[in-house]
Amino acid sequence: MATAYLGEHLYIGYIGQIGILIAFVSAILSAFSYALSSKDFDSGWHQLGRWAFYVHGASIFVLISVLFYAMYHHFYEYAYVFDHVSDDLPLRYILSAFWEGQEGSFLLWMFWNVSLGFILLHKPKNFEVPVILVFALMQVFLTSMILGIYLPIGTEGFKIGSNPFVLLRQINEAPIFQNADYLSLIKGRGLNPLLQNYWMTIHPPITFLGFSSTIVPFAFAFSGLYSRDLKSWIEASYNWVLFSAGILGTGILMGSLWAYEALTFGGYWAWDPVENTSLVAWIVLIGGIHLHLITKKTGRQSKLLYLFYILAFVLILYSTYLTRSGILGDTSAHAFTNMGLESQLIALCLFFLIFGLFWWIKRFKSFDKQTEESVYSREFWLYISALILLLSATLIIMATSLPVFNKIIAAFNPNYTGRVITDPIYHYNKYQLWVAVVVSIISAKAVHLRYFASNWTLIKKKFLLRIFVYSVLAIILTWMFSLEISYFHWQNALLSFSAFFTIVSNGHYVISKLKQDTKLAFAGISHFGFGLMIVGILGSALNQKHISSNPFLFGEVFTKKDVTKYVQLIKGRPLFSQNYWITYESDTLIGKTLTYSIDFKEVGADKNVLNEFKLHPNAVYSNDLSKIAAFNPDTKHEWTRDVFSAVVSVPPAVESIEKSKEIEGALVYNKLTIPISDSIFLEDSIVLKPLTIHYEPSNVVYNRHEHVAGLGVSIKIHDLASDTSFVVEPAFGIDGALLYNYPVQVQDLGLKIRLNEDNASSYFSEDAKLDYQEYKVKEGQSFKIGDSEVKLVGLNKNPKHKNYTSQEGDIAIAAILKIKRNNIEEVAEPIFIIRDNLPQSIKYFLPTLGLHIRLSFIDPVNETFTFQIAEDINNLKNITLDIAKNVPRTDYVILLATVFPAIKLFWLGGIMMMLGLFLSSFSRHFLKRKIS
Amino acid sequence: MNKGVIVSLIVILIGVIVVITSSKDVSTYASIQDAKSGNLVKIAGQLSKDKPMEYDAENNPNQFVFFMHDQKGGEVKVVLNKPKPQDFEMSEQIVVTGRMTNDVFSATDILMKCPSKYKNEEISIKDQNG
Repeated sequence: MATAYLGEHLYIGYIGQIGILIAFVSAILSAFSYALSSKDFDSGWHQLGRWAFYVHGASIFVLISVLFYAMYHHFYEYAYVFDHVSDDLPLRYILSAFWEGQEGSFLLWMFWNVSLGFILLHKPKNFEVPVILVFALMQVFLTSMILGIYLPIGTEGFKIGSNPFVLLRQINEAPIFQNADYLSLIKGRGLNPLLQNYWMTIHPPITFLGFSSTIVPFAFAFSGLYSRDLKSWIEASYNWVLFSAGILGTGILMGSLWAYEALTFGGYWAWDPVENTSLVAWIVLIGGIHLHLITKKTGRQSKLLYLFYILAFVLILYSTYLTRSGILGDTSAHAFTNMGLESQLIALCLFFLIFGLFWWIKRFKSFDKQTEESVYSREFWLYISALILLLSATLIIMATSLPVFNKIIAAFNPNYTGRVITDPIYHYNKYQLWVAVVVSIISAKAVHLRYFASNWTLIKKKFLLRIFVYSVLAIILTWMFSLEISYFHWQNALLSFSAFFTIVSNGHYVISKLKQDTKLAFAGISHFGFGLMIVGILGSALNQKHISSNPFLFGEVFTKKDVTKYVQLIKGRPLFSQNYWITYESDTLIGKTLTYSIDFKEVGADKNVLNEFKLHPNAVYSNDLSKIAAFNPDTKHEWTRDVFSAVVSVPPAVESIEKSKEIEGALVYNKLTIPISDSIFLEDSIVLKPLTIHYEPSNVVYNRHEHVAGLGVSIKIHDLASDTSFVVEPAFGIDGALLYNYPVQVQDLGLKIRLNEDNASSYFSEDAKLDYQEYKVKEGQSFKIGDSEVKLVGLNKNPKHKNYTSQEGDIAIAAILKIKRNNIEEVAEPIFIIRDNLPQSIKYFLPTLGLHIRLSFIDPVNETFTFQIAEDINNLKNITLDIAKNVPRTDYVILLATVFPAIKLFWLGGIMMMLGLFLSSFSRHFLKRKIS
Repeated sequence: MNKGVIVSLIVILIGVIVVITSSKDVSTYASIQDAKSGNLVKIAGQLSKDKPMEYDAENNPNQFVFFMHDQKGGEVKVVLNKPKPQDFEMSEQIVVTGRMTNDVFSATDILMKCPSKYKNEEISIKDQNG
């Protein structure tokens, strides 16, 4: 039976479904038309292809707007909206939520493709046809990823794409959907708290622009092969290629910065498969740029150039396959869910690989014969560096692809056990170190060589002199740097030398070129940045020092270095470690975020404090506050170093409600009744003494809530073993029949104390059951009640009491009574009020003496005051406590704190590398416009 | 022969050498039985939920002890030199990297596969209060 559901916005889905179909069909039509139009540029096919691409682009923009609209308005009837936004998701994360899922991120990719395509549509016709053909083909594949069509093939059917406009009730079978008004009952799942930071807002668009832009070199290379014009695309595409490398590199660098700033592992690069695949594509692209430059400057055609650009693009597709197919499984810390798109992703990779290689091989004969280049020419070294970069990329991608190889082999041999790299970081670093050394040295000297080795004999002396001076400077710098950091192995010293060598050489190059031809200096800036980055890595990765390492702890089976990376910090107890006093001072919960305040004092040799600072790492609870979902580090940034800190673990009771309940449930409370002011031994060495009773408890947690009445007992606990005392105040609050308990925990003694509920009946007597006696006195007079002596010492015309709120027209007066019994002296202020001509009295209760006092009448003529006083019927001398022993601590954190020396050089170097690429790209772009 | 070709061949040769030498860095997932050789290995398995877990943050926050078993029926005590990972009890699969010494597996690294936190959840119902 069909249910008529309330409040759904089905029109969104209709627009979405139709939009996807139009986008898919128009992309196919565009590709098809461009493919046919190529032979005759001005044919109708050409026009059709162009218009179909416009329609495709427009429908992609509509799809994005509609999905965004649905997310913005929390239309939870759509599964994608339900999965990624929630009522409490701040508006600033709405974009992050949009591209959190696979469908949204495919749309983002398509958005960039379409945008780039629209710009390139206005290229001269001989580029437009092949370039937009490639774009349209790509769009066919990407749009198919969000098609969401099931083909009834095989037993389970075959799914093409995952549609973002699917209704929640279409993919879930839950009893809730029997309710026509289910929408009013559900709230979205929201954005993963790990991703609720600004990085998630800026990193994906940049990265996807980087991904998207790699299609440009591919498309231009294809246009060359396709039209047999191997020359003209070289000039037309160069600034685009530089832009692509710059933006892709920026995306990778940003991801690295995100990891460093927001993850608790304490680093910026982990050789994770997700990082590796993007890096590899970037390295190949950079290699391609070097070959591109050879052709551009010398006219030498390079078959390899085409291969590089084909590979760079296919590697991006391959990275998409790796990250979205779920194949990485247990080799990556990144969690990507498998959405059943694996075969489509494989098809995407293979199509463009085969497509590219097919045209490349087909045009082999069109290439010029290669002539010999001189080893003293710049192009020779550009060529070598491209090869080295390709080698570097190959090594990384082969190792990263082990899970893929495993899967392929396992398909033929089911008994095959997969292979893994035992220690990835060691493995990658070992080989890439040599790549960095060779690349640095080549880039240092190649910039001072000339194309065609022209005038080599003339510049030879100058060149050799320069190399000599740079080497000497690099050696000096390497030595100077060693005063600040350690190299540990000669390989690292060599790496340092080569990095400084390229810094000095390219630095000189930049300065000399700035005067002559600014455009040429930009390559130098990138190379200079590369050198800086290497130096930054030597400082920050090789020489990082864990402050949070406690040398007093030795594991049984680990080396000292392994064991000492994390420390436990107990709140308020300073810990001395690695020349720092570290103190966990406090923590504050605001909303979902629990922020810690950790104080660091760096101490010099003679115990003087060199500097002091506070860091605030935090823990973020899940959207339903049931458990901690993420930890965020906090870093102190200085010019020469960073101090990184992260809480990596907290007590189980703080970590989740479930564990907290489990621990509480396992506690054994013993009931104990103790007379006030008496001491008892709880254990051999622990003495417990209830001091006083308060009807307005000062218990911190109690005071955050409002109750009609409350009771608190301050208790002194003395630990004879350590000779320390604590005063605690367990309390409860009463609201009608409900009793709220506020137990206290004595962390150091493992005790938890709460007031037994029995106290409620004995400490809150009903007025009607009391036996009031009347006393009439004048000011200054005394009278006796049992052992107590009561004296009316004065009057208060502005009385205050928690049960009394003054109103206009009130006449209120309080009598000040001093009451003495044995050594106890207390003051009571009962209040007499005349409100609306009616006399009223507010009772004052002295719990320690057990006296209830009312001022019931004032005789103004005789100046006498009438009191009603009753002795409490209960025994107020005892207090009943529930006490649990061996309670686990809840007041500590496990901290990781690391000093990263010279890390700023890493970021600065990275930024300079990208800046060099962007400057080159834009300067050429504007230069071209000027000429035309 | 063209210098470029020679250099290309050299680079390819280096690549081949590296691939051969790097085979030392690669290992298969070892069974607990295999790990007794004492080599640096990875073991994949599940947490033995019936055995005790030990994490004493006060005395050694860098050590977490638990038992795991693999599909071949082996069981081993694992000493991990890291704090206890979050959601450890919920893990479906554990991969530890380390060495076996005296029947105790000393792990330096751990990867866990957890049930996807956000995908398999039941449809959450609004709080009546909120």
